[in-house]
Amino acid sequence: MTSVPTGDFSQVVTPTRVHRSLYTDPDLFELEMTRIWGQAWIFIGHESQVPNTGDYFTTNINHNIPVVMVRDKSGTVQVLHNRCGHKGAKVVEARSGNARGAFRCSYHGWSYRHDGSLLKVPNEAGYDGTGFDSANPCYSMQPLAQAESYRGFVFATLSPNAPDLKTWMGGARDCFDNLCDRAPEGEVEVAGGVLRYEHQCNWKFILENLNDTMHPMVVHESIVKAAESYLDSLPEDAVEQRKEAEIIPPFGASYEKFEASGITGFPFGHHYDGGKTSIHADYSVDPEYHAAMVAAYGEERTREIYSFNTHNVLFYPSLTIKCAVQNIRVIRPISVDRFIVETWSFRLKGAPDSMLQRTLLYSRLINSAMGMVGPDDLEVYRRAQEGLASPSNEWVEFHRQYGKDEQLEDRTVGGGTSDLDMRTQYQAWQAYMEGSIFNKVEKT
Amino acid sequence: MNRERIEEFLYREADLLDRPDLDSWVNLFAENGIYWMPAAEDQQDPINHISHIYDDRVMMEIRRRNFIHPRASSKEWEVRCSHVIGNIRVAPEDKDQGTTVTSNQHVVVWYREEQRLYACKVTHRLEVEGEDFKILEKRVDLINPSAPQQSLIIYL
Repeated sequence: MTSVPTGDFSQVVTPTRVHRSLYTDPDLFELEMTRIWGQAWIFIGHESQVPNTGDYFTTNINHNIPVVMVRDKSGTVQVLHNRCGHKGAKVVEARSGNARGAFRCSYHGWSYRHDGSLLKVPNEAGYDGTGFDSANPCYSMQPLAQAESYRGFVFATLSPNAPDLKTWMGGARDCFDNLCDRAPEGEVEVAGGVLRYEHQCNWKFILENLNDTMHPMVVHESIVKAAESYLDSLPEDAVEQRKEAEIIPPFGASYEKFEASGITGFPFGHHYDGGKTSIHADYSVDPEYHAAMVAAYGEERTREIYSFNTHNVLFYPSLTIKCAVQNIRVIRPISVDRFIVETWSFRLKGAPDSMLQRTLLYSRLINSAMGMVGPDDLEVYRRAQEGLASPSNEWVEFHRQYGKDEQLEDRTVGGGTSDLDMRTQYQAWQAYMEGSIFNKVEKT
Repeated sequence: MNRERIEEFLYREADLLDRPDLDSWVNLFAENGIYWMPAAEDQQDPINHISHIYDDRVMMEIRRRNFIHPRASSKEWEVRCSHVIGNIRVAPEDKDQGTTVTSNQHVVVWYREEQRLYACKVTHRLEVEGEDFKILEKRVDLINPSAPQQSLIIYL
């Protein structure tokens, strides 16, 4: 994992097209798992999921490498390989919990401290004089090459060569700041459980779709029309019903509205749409929440925080966040044509419960497998997955507004209906796959 | 409360979903009626915890309109269900909560040219309206609410 072979992927990626095999070839998928998911900073979890010593949360860092996030005795959040140093069994099976004194392997009872170091081997005398050295780190639950958190969001990477997390995030980091600054206490915490949604298609479809602003008015036309027709049927005084139904129509926003929101791309494949405005900009502000914000930040700073309004922010390849909604989606590939999306919601510390309730309402309506938005997105990804078996055209194109993107010092900006987000992703895809992604990175 | 009439009501409700006829099904609910599918085992709170579905009549009205819209690509596929209802238990009537009826339901869903099986514990809270019932709340607890779920475009 430490040295990634170099190679030339210009046969399958050009500035405006990618080859269909990126979505359908199982061998390419395996390469992606080592070269992209094996090098990039991957979102693991949030510190609020492990508040106390010994609290842990398990996940995979790619399609199959199991890891455990745990808070050790010193209060540091560690990300460890979930593999016993002895025979290799996964040590922690539960999704989350508390390992009181230590982790203990269920096979031969080897136990590990919360920092992963080997605590005890049962009947250790049998190893005397065998050359076995219990202090050798290979017999521990080894920490990942690097793990860091930013404002509570924990990332880890299998690559010792990745730049530090802040450098890797680049300007997209502002979005974590905005998400947390929307809390009167400046911090967020995971709340209200998780939704897990199985997608029967390649993992890259959802990343491409996040800031594909040419799709909502087509894919989500039916639900927007259904909501509008219902709103039209309501009497004038049906205030509560109106308020609830109004979460949906922004998904049918016009091309012009999306164009105005703009798209911003960063090195390493990250991007967001919005900034000054987004489809989330017109939500009404809860008066109690607003009062708490003004008390914490003052009127001017509060307005400034609200005014940074992004829609979807992608931290390529594993995490997308919605600052204005306070939910995140975590991507985990399973195979070339299958992946899982987890939707987690956040409480803004110091905000009234109504804010979390709004977040959960949004997650439920939009991101649930039983929602009215997600299934129409997945339907078109699946049609693309099936259609790309056709050899009639070897390429998938993303030319929109090519040549009009404006390159600034640390970012690329373009119109809101530009395909610049796709170009940004596939530049990173190519550099990860070719092994050149971390060349010439200046650390902050 | 007549157990036979309750059973007949559950079968009639399931039949509307089997076909599916959402326009008629929605009208089985009271004006303040709720359909709830929790996303966690033994979930207590529908508001401060995420659910797969927590629909009042507003959302049911939108869903039923969406269900038949010609441009809903996920709904271009035929969807049909087959509910089998068993282990019906009727709790004594409660003045505020109505009559609580629990049942086990196995629902086979035909969608996207595949058959799927959902196993659920279903809790109905019913109120008497004339000769019939209205649903105050229908709660559907999947056997695996926290597992990754596939797209589901119909109420179970």
